[in-house]
Amino acid sequence: MERIAAWLHEKNPGLDGPVDKDEDLIEARLIDSMDFVEFVELLEEISGSSIDLQEVTIDDFRTLGRVEQRFLTPSGTAAAATAAG
Amino acid sequence: MSTASVTALPDGRLKNPGAGLLTLDPVHTALLHGLDDLLTGLADRLAAPEVVGPPLLSVAGLARLDFFRNFPHLGVSAGRFAPDALDGLAAGESPGELPLRPTGHLLPSATCYGLLLSLEGTDVGDEGLRLSATGRCFRNETHYDGLRRLWGFHMREVLYLGTKDGAVDHLDRGSAFVLETAGRLGLDLTRATADDPFYDRGGSRAKLMALDPVKHEFSAPDGTAIASVNRHRNFFGERLDIRAGSHGPAYSACVAFGVERWVHAMILAHGTAERALDRLRAART
Repeated sequence: MERIAAWLHEKNPGLDGPVDKDEDLIEARLIDSMDFVEFVELLEEISGSSIDLQEVTIDDFRTLGRVEQRFLTPSGTAAAATAAG
Repeated sequence: MSTASVTALPDGRLKNPGAGLLTLDPVHTALLHGLDDLLTGLADRLAAPEVVGPPLLSVAGLARLDFFRNFPHLGVSAGRFAPDALDGLAAGESPGELPLRPTGHLLPSATCYGLLLSLEGTDVGDEGLRLSATGRCFRNETHYDGLRRLWGFHMREVLYLGTKDGAVDHLDRGSAFVLETAGRLGLDLTRATADDPFYDRGGSRAKLMALDPVKHEFSAPDGTAIASVNRHRNFFGERLDIRAGSHGPAYSACVAFGVERWVHAMILAHGTAERALDRLRAART
């Protein structure tokens, strides 16, 4: 999660302090549309598995809590891999 | 010579000047203006004052809004003849073969760009701001098709800037107006997520948009989208430093109408332009 937090701060220089786990990253545009694919690639790199955008919804990326649950915990990663398979 | 003989059109028709270019005859013109009047009802309902946007947009301003990254193919540039071409022109050389010099401006591709750029660096306050305008908009297209797809067309927009909740409310009220107005006009519309023609369809913006649609369109039975509701999140607020009082960068949203396409939808629904005009007049009384 540290790498994701660092990435968010790098992309949002005006961002002060930590990002709340429930903060809506998409609606607040902390993940800009121009950076979305880069964010997905970052998650793939960290989790070590690929993400098929046909198999996910925007809600999977909406908060840090959801990102962690969906892509970075063993069961979530497994589920994503299965779904992508 | 009587007035009637001056204004009557030869066999009632006007030639089209070229692909994507139309001269509207009197009945179609009455439809266009009448429909635009009726659609202004949304601005009245939302207390959005009427403004007139600029006829050209600076490329620097548009670049700040990622226009060229997303829609490099749409831009219609305003050029002027280079000074060394002027003698040639005056001597009767073919204008189409003489070099143009860029002016740093484009013809607008949507009405709200000019309004947003005019608000750069302002604070719209906690209560937010609404503006309404009709502009003539221009887009290069791969093909043109009657009133459905024109090189230049009229776009009415009602723009909101303010809070996140205010933007949602704006679109809800805009959507209700679209359906209500369509009902009065005898138009049957379907609402669907829009599939905007991003240049790089595999790009970030297109992918995010596919996952989280920010644009919905209302379409006639033949698939022609005649109105759209658009959420911008706080994108324009951030890029143009437009603030909403204590809420930070303004969220924005707009309701847009392609007026020629409403003319098309009316003719599609009622058979002829004359019958469509009768129906429009009945709807306005």
